[in-house]
Amino acid sequence: MSDVKYTRGGCARPATSLQFHTGSWRVQRPVHRHGAAPCHVACPAGENPQAYLARIEEGDEQAAWRELVTINPLPAITGRVCPHFCESACNRATYDSAISIHGVERYLGDKALAHDWHYAVPARAVGAARVAIVGAGPAGLAAAYHLTLLGYQAVMFEANPEPGGTLRGAIPEYRLPRGVLQVEMQRVLDIGIEFRANTRLGRDVSLEELRQSHAAVFLGPGTQRARYWHVDGIVQRDLHQALDLLKAWNTVGKLSMPASVAVVGAGNTALDTARILRRAGVASVHLVAHKALPEQAASGDDVMPVHPREIAQALEEGVQIHPHRGIRRLLLRGERVVGVEMVHMKKLRGADGVYARVAFEGTETVLHVEQVIPAIGQTVDGVGFDALVADNGFVSVNAQGAVTAGYQGVFAGGDAIGKGGTVTRAIGDGRRAAAAIHGFLQGREWAASVLAPVTFAQLNVNYFEPAPRPEDPVLALKKRIGEKEVVGGIEQQAVLQEAQRCFSCGNCFACDNCWTLCPDTAVLKTQELAADGAHYVFDYDYCKGCGICAQECPCGFIAMEAEL
Amino acid sequence: MTESIINFYELRRKQPRFQGIDAGHRACLGCGEALAARLVLESTGPDVIVANATGCLEVFTTPWPESAWRVPWLHSLFENAAAVAAGIEAALKAQGRQSKVLAFGGDGATFDIGFQALSGMLERGHNVLYVCFDNEAYMNTGIQRSSSTPHAAATTTSPAGKQRMGKRHLKKDIVSIIAAHHIPYAATASVAFPSDLRKKVRRAMAIDGATFLQIHCPCPLGWGHESEESIAVARLAVQTGLFPMIELERGELTGAMPIREQKPVVDYLKPQARFRHLFADDARAREELEHLQALADHNIEIYKLLGSGVDALDSEGADTVRRGGNRWG
Repeated sequence: MSDVKYTRGGCARPATSLQFHTGSWRVQRPVHRHGAAPCHVACPAGENPQAYLARIEEGDEQAAWRELVTINPLPAITGRVCPHFCESACNRATYDSAISIHGVERYLGDKALAHDWHYAVPARAVGAARVAIVGAGPAGLAAAYHLTLLGYQAVMFEANPEPGGTLRGAIPEYRLPRGVLQVEMQRVLDIGIEFRANTRLGRDVSLEELRQSHAAVFLGPGTQRARYWHVDGIVQRDLHQALDLLKAWNTVGKLSMPASVAVVGAGNTALDTARILRRAGVASVHLVAHKALPEQAASGDDVMPVHPREIAQALEEGVQIHPHRGIRRLLLRGERVVGVEMVHMKKLRGADGVYARVAFEGTETVLHVEQVIPAIGQTVDGVGFDALVADNGFVSVNAQGAVTAGYQGVFAGGDAIGKGGTVTRAIGDGRRAAAAIHGFLQGREWAASVLAPVTFAQLNVNYFEPAPRPEDPVLALKKRIGEKEVVGGIEQQAVLQEAQRCFSCGNCFACDNCWTLCPDTAVLKTQELAADGAHYVFDYDYCKGCGICAQECPCGFIAMEAEL
Repeated sequence: MTESIINFYELRRKQPRFQGIDAGHRACLGCGEALAARLVLESTGPDVIVANATGCLEVFTTPWPESAWRVPWLHSLFENAAAVAAGIEAALKAQGRQSKVLAFGGDGATFDIGFQALSGMLERGHNVLYVCFDNEAYMNTGIQRSSSTPHAAATTTSPAGKQRMGKRHLKKDIVSIIAAHHIPYAATASVAFPSDLRKKVRRAMAIDGATFLQIHCPCPLGWGHESEESIAVARLAVQTGLFPMIELERGELTGAMPIREQKPVVDYLKPQARFRHLFADDARAREELEHLQALADHNIEIYKLLGSGVDALDSEGADTVRRGGNRWG
């Protein structure tokens, strides 16, 4: 064998380049960073729709429901009545259309009722502390539920024979069927909550008694007192309050009203009252709203705080809405209403910078109606806890939900604290108060976490397909009689599609982008070894810090951190 | 489990894909070519032999005595990758063996220096897939213009200045020239669309005969954009129409990736320093911007890139992500 070499050259063993750690070149490193999805940040109850949409996409609807009820025990209810702040915040709305989160929530809630899924409640210790809850509306039910999950014995005191509060009294059946309401609330009470019906604070039991026999007290009394309404000091003799009419309709199912009625107000109560009047056979129903219709609103306008869908349905049903109008004068014959004088109004900023409603002279018109029903809001009926009600008619609380009037261990939430009256907000109040009560009883301060939402700009939407949002089925106008539910739910197939449409803002959904696009093979795939909910780890021995993974991550889950 | 006790060596070995080029290579940050080469080998699998022309890919993967490759790999000269591949293929055939032979070259080695050997290999019909990693200049030697450098791009040998607005000539239409050899399959691809890229590699691998793939790969250093923008820039090249994604079989156009929403060429040009002079307040610059836009519009027109038909959006080619990552098919 000759040792003459005919060619010059070199050779190397495979992948020996691994001996060289290119990570030493790096001046910035990619890190996984969980972000809060905007739907989560926007939800007044604190739900995290991104998380339960993920479970649905994984094919586990029950796990999705479990995720949902760790925050909100009443999804079948809120899926129907909440104006879904989550969808207004959804990043997908900037791309094509928001995820139908309320549709998914309602689907999961209904599925749980149909399949009799139960909350996971830990066993309660013997001699667990007792916490009193006044009012079995959404705030009280949520507080009782979360206190039970935290190991306390919740005791509810309700003035009415049945639980529900606003849900039962103020929301008509065509928006929230009583069957759904009944079963979902009963499921909450069944986790071991003591329920004392027909027990009114200030009549059957006093606040002081509650404070002495319980470790803490939560007040969720709602707002039961209609705001005093008059036009220049004048009120017709047969004045009806909107809330009373709703209660009567919801319990009796009949109303006796003249053929033409004007409802005054711009909120849900006003709109629902107008709609039940149509159902009760009132031929001519007018809604005089001092605010703008959502679709006509200019920016900065104050808009009617109701879902645009509800307005559209009311218009379809024949309710005549007069936006930006106020009532200047009642036209009376004797003490009987024969009409109202309306005037154009707008909220404008005055020279002192304060907003005030201004009526425009020369725009007066007369509306011939035989009855006027005010629906301009309610305040707290403070019988039994007068000392806690502030001058504005609401119970004043601090950031933890504790009353500020000096009663230690007393917390409040829901409509009674006057911070925007939605069912979802009330449920959030109840949950936050439960956490605060837990903190109070353990002798430590509790503070709600404040999260910054993942913005649209943090996502990379080049990796998503445009896809339509499923619309809720709406009952045909002809069929909308009596108590029939107007808006239907979406089907399983649509729910799954919504889960697939979710951008998964701020949370890894294992799409393989970083793993695929790293030029340096410095992203390695592993679910087991990734400690942070990701499905990948960075091999910093080789990562050069180019930033492609962060730039191309569809979910905004990867951030670059300076290393120098 | 914390990251500090992860056995990365084990984990790297167990990755559910073939990593034909492993870590530790010396490519710059955000190198499109390093990514493209790994993606190609992911689709070919390990049963290949690679003949590599001189260029960045050759240099940064094989700093002697190391190699980043996990496949048999050979470098000889700048001009002869196709000839070496043809020889390997003939030798394998003589031995009765089946391995597919790949030839890798940059745009310099393909459009200019190795063009004659490439043309010969195609003409003789060797069972070789030739992959051209097109980063539009001689990057390895310091960014000299090649016949692939696009019109109006500044390089060290086509500088922008008083006399000229960057390169005065046009980018050579290599894929049409290749297709004119009447080979069974020639296509263009981009690192910004890995699903499409892998699909095209698989198609080429399934064909017994000479096939060709041109992959558009950004060079952050030579193009003058941030390293993290490599994919975004490559994506814009496709979305503007400046880099049409097409497939040619026996010279006939058989596929074109549609553009969902045509972006103006300035979106693509703006992030790149090699086109910076086009944004000066200068009549020639304005004219060249219009010229580049016209070139993009021309591509869209001749290849009918504004989608139509049943799958106008080409959902198959799009890189849609799904939970669990199973988009690659």
